[in-house]
This record gives sequence, structure tokens and C-alpha cells, in this order.
Amino acid sequence: MNAVLDAMENGTISRRVWFYANYHCNLECSYCLTESSPRAPRRQLDHSLMKSLTRQAADLGFTEVGVTGGETFLDLALPATLAEMSESVPVIVLTNGTLFAGDRLERLAPMLGRQISMQISLDSANPDLNDMARGPENFAKVVESIPRLINAGHRVRIASTGQAPDEESQEALCTLHRSLGISDDDHVVRPIVRRGRGATFDGSVPAGPDELFPELTITADGAFWSPFAPTVSNDHVDTDLLVSRTVEPLSVPAQRLVALAQGRPVGSDVANNIR
Amino acid sequence: MTARVSFITANQAPVSARHLFAGGDPGPLVSSWAQVPEMLDVTLPFVGMIMGASSVSVRHKELVILRTSALMQCRFCINAHTEVAVDVGLNELEIRALRGELAVGDVFAMPSEIALLRWIDAVATGRGAVADDIATAFAGHFQDHEVVEVTMLIGATLMLNRYASALQLPNSAESIDRLQQAGYETALTNQGAIA
Ligand code: SF4
Repeated sequence: MNAVLDAMENGTISRRVWFYANYHCNLECSYCLTESSPRAPRRQLDHSLMKSLTRQAADLGFTEVGVTGGETFLDLALPATLAEMSESVPVIVLTNGTLFAGDRLERLAPMLGRQISMQISLDSANPDLNDMARGPENFAKVVESIPRLINAGHRVRIASTGQAPDEESQEALCTLHRSLGISDDDHVVRPIVRRGRGATFDGSVPAGPDELFPELTITADGAFWSPFAPTVSNDHVDTDLLVSRTVEPLSVPAQRLVALAQGRPVGSDVANNIR
Repeated sequence: MTARVSFITANQAPVSARHLFAGGDPGPLVSSWAQVPEMLDVTLPFVGMIMGASSVSVRHKELVILRTSALMQCRFCINAHTEVAVDVGLNELEIRALRGELAVGDVFAMPSEIALLRWIDAVATGRGAVADDIATAFAGHFQDHEVVEVTMLIGATLMLNRYASALQLPNSAESIDRLQQAGYETALTNQGAIA
């Protein structure tokens, strides 16, 4: 097991483990890596497995867990699961932020007071541009949700996906996120990755083992190289960055990821900013 | 006949298996095992060692593989190893006997090979212990390390036979073409006709 800890300490692999909780989504974004939509197969990861693997991750020396999808909060049991996972390590959960209107916010109560942060997607300060990729009314729902979540006591970050914005658009986006109560430290900008629906986007960045920082990622289909790896093309989960079908004990895929990642030039992913 | 499993293609090959696809299609065994990269990583060296060059002669290895495959009626392995048997120098009568088209007793005369063939038949198709006379005859011609290797090879072949048959793995078109041009049946019409 020391090889895994050593690899984290010398920066060969990330200290964060990711879980794909599910693949279906209430949205159908044009650049979605996982071809998610309301009709997509769920590929749901069992919650007891996520909890068990989170404890194992902490034992192996991982210091953070990420939960992504699909739209993670389509599963009403997720808040309680996240709360339990956060007893081992801090948790970041990715969401499109559109499912927290009205009293649905109260469903998140189990997460309050825990080391859990939510990362919500918002791509542009221009509602039309944002909604072009993410669907009608997405902008309005997200800018309404974020202050409500913050007021309710949740820690929120914003992730913006798209081609590098010009200075004016970037400034408008930053002005917007600050007005919503999100600091600059809690705003990340990511490129569109050339996988899933993003494969055909002009300006998308390639994402193979040379470009992606190794971050152990667990799905219902196995363990993968990075959260940008278990993408979906033509209804099939891509296997080019599959590490193993075995996910438990977590030491098995962790050791395989380390073995595969060793010898890879340190920091080669940074050029593309897709950490 | 359609395969009962999908095959990983070169652009979907997992990182750990990519080198196996670099020279073109690695065949249905590797392309299906690549579905489970951690299994492929250990299975391929195992099969490579068991089937490849070792202290047991290539000729004896092909006797084992082709005979076992014929006993198990594994079309994929019979076809693949008919080609190998031709390539390593077995003659047509020997190959047809191993494939079950002629009686092996009419073709093979060397006592060591008759003992080997009886051992193969007993191990591959038997249940429980192998009869003492067959084991004694076999041990009379082969050293312990050869007994170990041959017996492991029979077992490995059985594993591959059942895998390839159950999943209906296809031989390549070139392979089928070559065998048919040489006059070999490729569609397993002699089921149950092992001599
Ligand atoms: S990008 Fe996110 S929100 Fe959009 S369809 Fe995919 S999973 Fe859903």
C-alpha cells in the first residue's frame, strides 16, 4: 500500500478519489462528456459501495473524495450518503444546481455542518450563451439557486466550462459569481474536453493519459484514470482509460493506477488546464 | 455464427493493453480479454508461457492442444491450431487424426506419443483419477517437469476451448480461407466423431 501513498506524496497521482454516482441527468448539455440526458442509462453506483470505498480511500491516504454524474441529486438518498462519506474525508459534489427550487432545498439538510462543498456549473454571464449549451432557463435557475444554497449554509463553488473566454466575458463572469457570493478561489474555469459529446467541439482539448492527471475514478463499470475518462460515446462507456473492472478493495485499482501512471512526465496535464 | 461478446477495438483499448493493439487486430481472445484489463495482464503471460516455447517440444505441445480441442469440439481452437500444426511440421495424416477425422492408432506409432495421446484423452475427457496403466505408461516416457507442463497445458487448453466455444469466437477470414484451400473442414461437421 506504500506505493499508493508514495505516489500521492510525490504527485504521481491525485489525493482525490472520484465516484460517478449515476449517469442520467435532467439536462442534456451540448458538450456533456457522458452523453447524459433524462433517457441515459443510470449506471448507478451503489451507495453502500461508495461509503465503503470512501473509508478505504481514507485508509489508503487519499484526502478528498469527489462525487459526480450525471446529475447527482436526482438520487434523493444522496445527501445522507454524502454526509456519511464526509465523516472520513472532505467531499465535493458536482451538480447542475437546477434541482433546489422551493422546498427541495430542505432535502439537502443532512449535508449541513459537514465537510461537503457543492460545485455548480455556470458557463457564462450571458444567459443566452449559457443556455445555448446547457438548455433553456438554466442560467435563471442557477443564479437563483446559488444564493439560496449559500444562505442555507452550504459551501458552493462554481465551475465554468467552455473555450477560454475573452477578457470582457471573463470579467463579466467574475463579477457575476462575486455578486452571487462566490469568491475567486471558489471559481474554476475548465476547457471542453474532446470526449463524449465534446468530441466534435472546435477548440476542445484532447484528453488521453498524457493530458489527464491520474485521479482514481470509480464508476458502476469499473475504475478509470480520471473523472474525464469514463465518458460515453454512442451509448457505450469508453474503455480507453479503463484501469480495472475491480473496484473493491480500492487498493486494487489504486495500485494499478499508480503502476500505469509511473513514468508519466510530471505536470504534463497542466498545459491543458484540465485538472 | 455471431460472437456472444463484444470485442475491444484499438481506439478503445485500455491504457495497459494498448501495446497489444499497436500491430493491428490482436485476435478475439485478446480483444475480448481486454474488457477486463487486470485479467488480461495476467492471463496473457500465463497463456503465452503455457503455449509457447518451453522444455516440452513444439510438436508435443501441438499434439496436446489440437487433440484436446478436438475432444472438446472447439471449432475456434481446432481451426487455429490446425494452422499452427501445419506450420510446425505435423503431416496431414497426423493433423487429421488429431482433429478426429482418422483413428490416432492408425497414424501415430511412437510409444511415447501413444502414451501422451492416451494421457491427453484421459485428462481432457475423464472424471476423477486417471487410470494407473495410463499414468504409468505416460510417466515411463516423460520426466516429472514434462508431466507437469503437459498436464497444465491440457488444462489451459480446456479453459480456452470452453471460453472460445461458449462465446462463439470467430476465426479470421484469412485463417478460414487458408484452411479451406488446404482441404480442411472449418465448420465442425464431425461433432462426436473423435476417433
Ligand atoms: S454536463 Fe452535467 S448537467 Fe449537463 S447533461 Fe452532462 S451531466 Fe447533465
